[in-house]
Amino acid sequence: MTPVMEVSALTTIAFWAASAMTLGFAAIVVTQRDVFRAAIALAGSFLGVGILYFVLSAEFVGVVQILVYVGAISVLMAFAVMFIQDIASGSRPAQGRLVGVAAAVLVFAALAFTAYNTEWSSQNELSPDAVVALTEGYYEVGEGDDIRVELTEPAGDNDVVVANGGAFVESTGAVGVLLVREYMLAFEIIGLLLVAALIGGLLLMRNPPSSNKTEKGDASV
Amino acid sequence: MTIENVLLVSAALFAIGAYGVVSRRSLVTVIMSLELMFNGVVIAAVAFSRFTPAAALLSGDPLTAEAIRSALTGHAFAIFVTAVAAGEAALAFALVFAMYRATESVEITDASEMKN
Repeated sequence: MTPVMEVSALTTIAFWAASAMTLGFAAIVVTQRDVFRAAIALAGSFLGVGILYFVLSAEFVGVVQILVYVGAISVLMAFAVMFIQDIASGSRPAQGRLVGVAAAVLVFAALAFTAYNTEWSSQNELSPDAVVALTEGYYEVGEGDDIRVELTEPAGDNDVVVANGGAFVESTGAVGVLLVREYMLAFEIIGLLLVAALIGGLLLMRNPPSSNKTEKGDASV
Repeated sequence: MTIENVLLVSAALFAIGAYGVVSRRSLVTVIMSLELMFNGVVIAAVAFSRFTPAAALLSGDPLTAEAIRSALTGHAFAIFVTAVAAGEAALAFALVFAMYRATESVEITDASEMKN
């Protein structure tokens, strides 16, 4: 029994390296007193997570991670740190530090226990046809509601034939189709949510509360 | 690299984030720790997509395009969580700024009243 997707030694090394990077920078984020250094470490941690996604053969998610987290959220954090003046005093630890350690250790122990004591179903249970479709590619034949899947290119008929790479190997196209077919509604709602978050953010940031009363007439355009 | 290893890393990142949320006083650091927790969750979603088989591909039914795509549900989940986290971060910082303007402080212990 061979795994559906072989994990090479190099992949394993990359995985542990990316994990060490992620967790190391994350530890700096939660222990560093200087908030600006914490923000830089946070960007490093996000980058490590992005590499982890590539190692897990999720290229599209990895690129999204780097664009959104490393590119946008880290910059937002850096701006926030620079705008807030009294950051020089640093991020002091709160009173309940021991409680924090205890909670983190408990959460970690519970999750690790579950991970190692659950019998996860293995990809070896996949049917041979499914393995080929996931790792080598498949053809969608027909159009409209009448689409069937072939593993080899059908020769010489008038049907529309769409060639797809293996869903695991070329995941970007498959994820794109997944987002606009199966998860169309969720996709639209996410757009609405982002607009709402944007408007809410602008509204909160609009005017200092003191000058709000005097400029009320101008603000209600 | 097995699913247990990846879930272990995901759990460790989540726990580190949880520690940061509980033990830091500055709201900015608390939000950073929240983002770490989001990342831990998404790593688990992608790991399940990578290592466990999609239910629709196990049965003996004929292969359909939907069933093949359902093997990547974890990726779609990851993208939705990322989008929600981005919106959350933007809104959270707007709130932090509003609080900073009102109270000249970003410490969580000073956030006991929501007037102004």
